[in-house]
Amino acid sequence: MPPSGKAVHAGPDDTLLLQRMADGDEQALGTFYDRWQPLVHGVVLRILRQRDDVEDVVEEAFWQAWRQAGRYQTGRGSVQTWLLTIARSRALDRVRAVTRLREDPIVGENGELVVHLAADGDPSMNTEAAERRSIVIAALADLPAEQREALELGYFGGLSQTEIAERTGQPLGTIKTRMRLAMQKLKTRLQVLREEAS
Amino acid sequence: MTISGMTHEEAREALEALALDALDASEHAAVLAHVQGCAECRLELATLEADVAQLAYAVRPESMSDVQRVRVRGRLLARAAADRSSSSPVMPDTDVRRVPAMAKSSSRQSMWIALAASVVAAVSLASLFQVNRERETIAAAYASAAGDRTATRASLDSLRSAMADRDKLIANLTGPDVAVVTMASAGPQTPSARMFWDQSVNAWTFVAHNLPKPKAGRTYQLWLVTASQKISAGTFSPGANGEAVVRATYALAKDSLAAVAVTDEPEAGSAQPTTVPFIVGMKSAR
Repeated sequence: MPPSGKAVHAGPDDTLLLQRMADGDEQALGTFYDRWQPLVHGVVLRILRQRDDVEDVVEEAFWQAWRQAGRYQTGRGSVQTWLLTIARSRALDRVRAVTRLREDPIVGENGELVVHLAADGDPSMNTEAAERRSIVIAALADLPAEQREALELGYFGGLSQTEIAERTGQPLGTIKTRMRLAMQKLKTRLQVLREEAS
Repeated sequence: MTISGMTHEEAREALEALALDALDASEHAAVLAHVQGCAECRLELATLEADVAQLAYAVRPESMSDVQRVRVRGRLLARAAADRSSSSPVMPDTDVRRVPAMAKSSSRQSMWIALAASVVAAVSLASLFQVNRERETIAAAYASAAGDRTATRASLDSLRSAMADRDKLIANLTGPDVAVVTMASAGPQTPSARMFWDQSVNAWTFVAHNLPKPKAGRTYQLWLVTASQKISAGTFSPGANGEAVVRATYALAKDSLAAVAVTDEPEAGSAQPTTVPFIVGMKSAR
């Protein structure tokens, strides 16, 4: 378990980097990219699952961060969470189109759901990110399998509740209930992260 | 209390799915309409969205290969430098969570839209670099010719015209009003393409890579797809290297473009597409 504390970086903090990016400093973008590309790449790769356009989506996520740096609001979560939300959105844009072309199942190469592939902390993560990761994985691990499945198919697979019901063969009402219960439990478990952000 | 036909209780029960962007389009709109008029639901949704955002941390970070990492970094910095010189880097805020709703709901309605990927992209650097290189070559030739007293007026005019054309193309690719649609392919040879729409002058520049040669008697046709029509933007064939650039001028309302697509058509082109598009991209909300 990593020690508690805020981000530990060599160099300017993320908020300052974003400010410099908003002012048109592309070197700040380079620093920002160097710092966060492993995390962004991990999320994009997990959502796209070995697709050829992972590199493209990573680039687009950072490009969007560059273009919207001036609109980041500190009160609405950490910079890295903001960036990961962008990365997930861009990856889902891509995977939704491709999924509809191929109807691939939203599972890993060995048939496991995506989050099950998550492993221990990564040394490239900063302290804050590593701590968040530990808390999130613990929260997900505590969910009943069927609730976690609904959550993962929605979050990483980009599927609607109706699509999840079709995919799993469960009634739509069941999926709605599972997803809601999962989110309610997460809300309790992740409260500490919201408090840190505020 | 009901807002937009949905009771508070009904909306409240759907907030978790809304935060996950997992509602179908019709329900999504109804819940969102309620949320906009309900302070309690807005607050709850913000909390749930914050929780959803944390789920990304469940994934293990994984750096790209050194080659990929350097390549993407180089492209980003070049784009940023070009962006800085052409406009303010801040663009209108995009609600990244809600952008995919159209793709989600429409997948069963139309193969055209079902194929579409909503991707906000920016300048195709490979293409832009090529254009810039060509412009520099032309500029050098122009400077040389201008200094050569024996150069003819005709050649100077020709070079000046070529430079102006390249300058216009660069502006069409990098201007502040350029919307970009990245297009995905269902084909086996992974062609890729981007459409640059310079909305200030209604200029469309389509750049494609890795396109196979069309079969004998066939050609590719580019389409601008709106909710009500498919507008031909011209036919084209790729060069020997599989690359193609198509430029067109067409006035289209900013919000009316739904997608851009390429189909395989008879050599003379078609009034309407006759085959399923093999490259397609949908314009993202901005």
